[in-house]
Formats: sequence, C-alpha cells, structure tokens
Amino acid sequence: MKRLCVAGLLLCAGSLFAVGARAQDQADLAKAGFKIYDNNCAQCHGDRLVGSGITFDLRRLKADERPRFENSVLNGKNQMPPWRNVLKPADLDAIWAYIRANANE
Amino acid sequence: MRDDKHTGFAILASILAAGISSAAFAQSAADLVNDNKNPKNVLTYGMGYNAQRYSTLKQVNRDTVKDLVPAWAYSMTDQTGLEAQPLVHDGIIYITNHNRTAAVDGVTGKEIWRVVHEYPPEVLRVVCCGIVNRGAAIYNGKIIRTTLDNTTVALDAKTGKEVWKTKADVDFNKGYSMTVAPLVANGVVVVGVAGAEFGIRGFLDGYDAETGAKLWRKHTIPAKGEKGSETWEGDSAETGGGSTWVTGSYDPELDLVFWGTGNPAPWNPRGRRGDNLHTNSILAFKPKTGDVVWASQTDPFDPFDHDGVNALVQADLTINGQVKKVVMQAHRDGYLYVLERATGAFLNVNKFVDMNWSSGWDAKSNRPILTEVSFKAIAGEKVEVWPSLSGGTNWHPMSYSPVENLLYINTFNLGMNYYAPPPEKAVAGQRTLHVELTPIKPEFQGHLKAVDPLTGKAKWEIPFKVANTAGTMNTAGGLVFTGQLTGEFIAVNSSDGKILWKFQTPSGIISQPVTWEKDGVQYVTVGSGIGGVYAMRTAAPDVAGVPTGSTLWTFKLHGK
Repeated sequence: MKRLCVAGLLLCAGSLFAVGARAQDQADLAKAGFKIYDNNCAQCHGDRLVGSGITFDLRRLKADERPRFENSVLNGKNQMPPWRNVLKPADLDAIWAYIRANANE
Repeated sequence: MRDDKHTGFAILASILAAGISSAAFAQSAADLVNDNKNPKNVLTYGMGYNAQRYSTLKQVNRDTVKDLVPAWAYSMTDQTGLEAQPLVHDGIIYITNHNRTAAVDGVTGKEIWRVVHEYPPEVLRVVCCGIVNRGAAIYNGKIIRTTLDNTTVALDAKTGKEVWKTKADVDFNKGYSMTVAPLVANGVVVVGVAGAEFGIRGFLDGYDAETGAKLWRKHTIPAKGEKGSETWEGDSAETGGGSTWVTGSYDPELDLVFWGTGNPAPWNPRGRRGDNLHTNSILAFKPKTGDVVWASQTDPFDPFDHDGVNALVQADLTINGQVKKVVMQAHRDGYLYVLERATGAFLNVNKFVDMNWSSGWDAKSNRPILTEVSFKAIAGEKVEVWPSLSGGTNWHPMSYSPVENLLYINTFNLGMNYYAPPPEKAVAGQRTLHVELTPIKPEFQGHLKAVDPLTGKAKWEIPFKVANTAGTMNTAGGLVFTGQLTGEFIAVNSSDGKILWKFQTPSGIISQPVTWEKDGVQYVTVGSGIGGVYAMRTAAPDVAGVPTGSTLWTFKLHGK
C-alpha cells in the first residue's frame, strides 16, 4: 500500500511535471513567435495582434484553422505577400503558438 | 520668291501648330518653375517647387467655404491606403496608388484612362509602412511614377501608354522598395528608395526625363574606405539605411535639389557607433549630376528612428532684419530646422513639440544637445522617450503661408518605452530593428498646429484624439485644408484655427489636398482611403471600424 502510494505520487508528480514542461515549451514557442511576428507581420496586422480592421484580425483564427493560417502565410492572400522559402516550418510553429496564446477562443 | 514665301508660311504655320499642340500639353521646365505662381494647375509635388502647398486661389474662402459641396467622387477600385498627392493639368487630374495610375476629368469625375501596374507580390515582404504610392510627376506630356519593385515608369499623359520604364538595379529581396513621388528638376527625374528597416544602403537616382536613361546614382552612405565611412562601426555602413522615401524640393535659381535622408539601420545603435553619415541629413545636390553641394546632418547616431525624410519647404524669411532664403523641415525628432538654402547653414532650430531626448541645439558644434534619456538609451538602459519613433510629425507634408508666415503641421503627441538590447548582426532584406518598444498614447494623440517658423511656438492648435496623418494645404482664401484618419475633410481658418467646414468622406484621409481652377471655378481635391503603417499599428484600435476603400473627391462652391 505504501509502495503503491509512493509509486502513485511519483506517477502523479511525473505527469504534472510533463504538463508543466509542455506549457513552458508552448510559452517559449509563443515568445519566439512574438519576435517573428513583430518583425514580419505587425506592420500590417498590428502591434501585439491588435489591428485597426484594415487587415485580418489574427486573433479570430480558431484552434482547427492551422491549415488556413499556413496557406495564407506560405502562398499569400489578397495584399499579403507569400512567405514560402522565407519563413521556415519552425517559424510557422512559433507564430501559430503566439497567435493561439492570444486568440479570442 | 513666291514659293519661298509660301514655304516660309508653311513652316511658320507648322511651328505655330506644333507650338499650340505642345502648349496644350507642355509642362515644360518653365511651367514647373512657375507652378506655385499658376494656381490653375498643380504640376509638382508640394504645389510648387518650393513645396509650400500654398495656393493664391480665394473663391473658396472663410466666408464662402460653408457652401463647399462635393462635385464628384472617383473610385480607385482598391482597398489599400491612398497616400498620393493628385496632379492637375488643364482640368485633368492624375492620381496614383500602389498599382494604378489614372487620368480623370476634373470637372465631371469621368475616368479618361487607367493603367494597372503589375509587380511581384514578394516585394510586399519588404514594404515597411503600408502598400502605398505617394504620387506622380508630370513633364513634357508624360506622367512619371514609381512602383514598389523599384521601377520608374513614364506614361503618355493623353493615353496612359508607356513611354519608358527604368528599373533601378537593386534587389528587392535586400530590402529596397519605392513609394516616392518623383521630382523632375532641370530635365532630370529624381527618385529615392525606402527600406531602412530592412538594412538597405540608401541612394538617390537621376534619370533622363525624356528617355529614362540613368544619369547618376548617389548613395547616402559611404562605401568602405570612402570619406565618411569612418563614422560607422565595423562594416555596419553596408546595411546602414539612410533611405530617401519622401520627395524633396527644388530651387531653380540655385539649381539645387533639397532632399532628406532617413534613419540609420538597425534602429538599435549599439552595433554602429559613430555619426553614421549621411543618415538623418538634408542633402543639397545638382539635379543634372547628383553632385552634393552641401550635407547638413540633424541627428548623428540616431537610436530612435527619427527618420529625417520629412518635407523640405522653402521660403524667404526675415531673420535679424535680413531676408534669408531658407529651407525648413519639421523633423520627426521634434525640432523645426531652418537652414540657409545656398550653404546649408543652420539658421534657427527650435522644438515644435515636447521632447526629452535633447535639451536644445548647440549652435557651435551644430549638433543636438543630448540628455540622460539619450545616453541611457545608447547604453542599453530602458527609457521613456518623447517624441516616439512616429516623431513630432511624420512624413505627411506641412504647408507654409507666406501671408500669415505660419507653418501648418499635423503633429504627434506620442512617447515610447524604449530598450536596445545587445545588438545582433543586421542582414540586408530582413526586418531587424533590434529594439523593444511600447507606445505611450495620451488622450489627445495629435494636433493641427500653426507654427511660427522662427520660434517653433504655435499661434493656435487644435487637439485630435486620433492624430492626423494627412498633409496640409493652405490658400489665399485664408483656409487650411487637411483630413482626419476617421475620414473628415476639414477647412480651418488659417489665422485663428477655427474649424469652418467639415465633410465626412467614406474612409480615412492620409493623402494631401490640392486646389486648382478651371473656367473660373475653384476646385478642391483630396483622396480618401485609410492605410499606411500609422493607421495599421499606432492608431489601432482607435480607428477600428473606419471603412477601407479608396476614392478621390473633388469639391466646389454650390451653384458654381
């Protein structure tokens, strides 16, 4: 019983640690995403994602809209230039993490 | 004898006919020189080579402006910002945006021709401040403009057909783009580049106005080993900025073009120690050769993006009892600079907005006196800076009234929290500013000010919650015209600052109004169409809800 409890605690603590680490990873990714966003996207989409309605409000992107996001970034859309071969997949991951961390829903 | 006479008559007739047809569509060098004296047309950026944006027309005046009504509106078929100043010749308006040039009948609003310009969409990756164009030049029957991909194109003013096209030999992937309205001076088309946020090495190009042939290129920043290169740390000059994205002005008597150069790159100063010549400078050069006669730097080693490109307005001012031919700049750094046109000497420097980065101008060394704020910023400490990177005013041009002796400036009231961390290496073509900024926005973010050019003090000012980013224009009718980001086109009493008239256009105004005359009727024309970096970044979210879509509006007095 005692052993089980200890094992359970260890298991419990371990998974908590894993969740915490994942959250920390996401936060680091979002932080990296902010920098890439600020350098490449903010001049049209606004400081810290707050725009003036002239361009698309990225905070409206929903959790399942990563393909839509990726298509627009890589291929361009309306006045937006294509970023293929400039922004790397890791950059897209980071920007996406930043947008999702600040999304409306 | 008789035949000779006949032949002579025929020659005379053909000369006369040629004279008449070319007079109908001339815009010769002399026409451009006299643009500010002929209020019927608007043939130059700045409504005259002196860039005063002053018109002697007065049918629309303080008494009659209440009867000013729209004559027509013309759609640019576009959602980007309309920043361009229209040109007007013989009642025909020429207007540009990022990918269109159009000729419109100024009386009826009917389109005469329209040209759509193609450019690679990838160039928009290096466009820092909105997908815009700032206007065209007109010369000998040609409308001459730039496109974002560093191309200058001349179109037949009658048909829109391409006459020549010249691409500057630079790679947009390295950060170069063009939004500037060209200046035609002494038969030479002068254009500049944008891209100091992307590590360019700035330059001006001169092209033959008839053929587009490149005559010269003048870099604003020295190459390795050239004089001035010692004012840059290591190889930082190679990506040092010094853009030239706002049209200069021209003094035909001195045959000198005056042009402002932009900020050093990157904004973080810690990897480019030195004066960083010739960024943030006013250059005076000969248009035929590009030879620089003088260069006066306003902000050596600028850490704050106080991009010195703003309009250069000429006037004759009485200073200490002497009439001086001056060129004036209301700078982003918050100072109003008055320089002698022939020599570039600083005659007068006064602040026209609140500032904390400098405590005054040192007339001995011709440098701003820096405060602790500047020293701390350069040392990598966090500081609060006034004015912000947006400046005491921005590129949107001021106007000057020779009657009131006042400058009408849409000023900013904005600060920023600033931090320059240890610098990273700049890479041409990548937007690498290497600073951390947060804006400070008071309740009233801007003013329309009537500023005394010799003191910097405002005779009157109107506060605005959202700052204006349109140019101003003033008239002998005693009016100042300008526009708001929320779309109102306003006419103000130039003497006391009372708003006398207002018209709500469909979108935000970021362009420059002009006035002109046809068949005894005075017209006022302005573009409406929100866009540009200020609206998209700094003014957000205060202008959220202002509709996009660009239109050109023309007004006249009711019943005229």
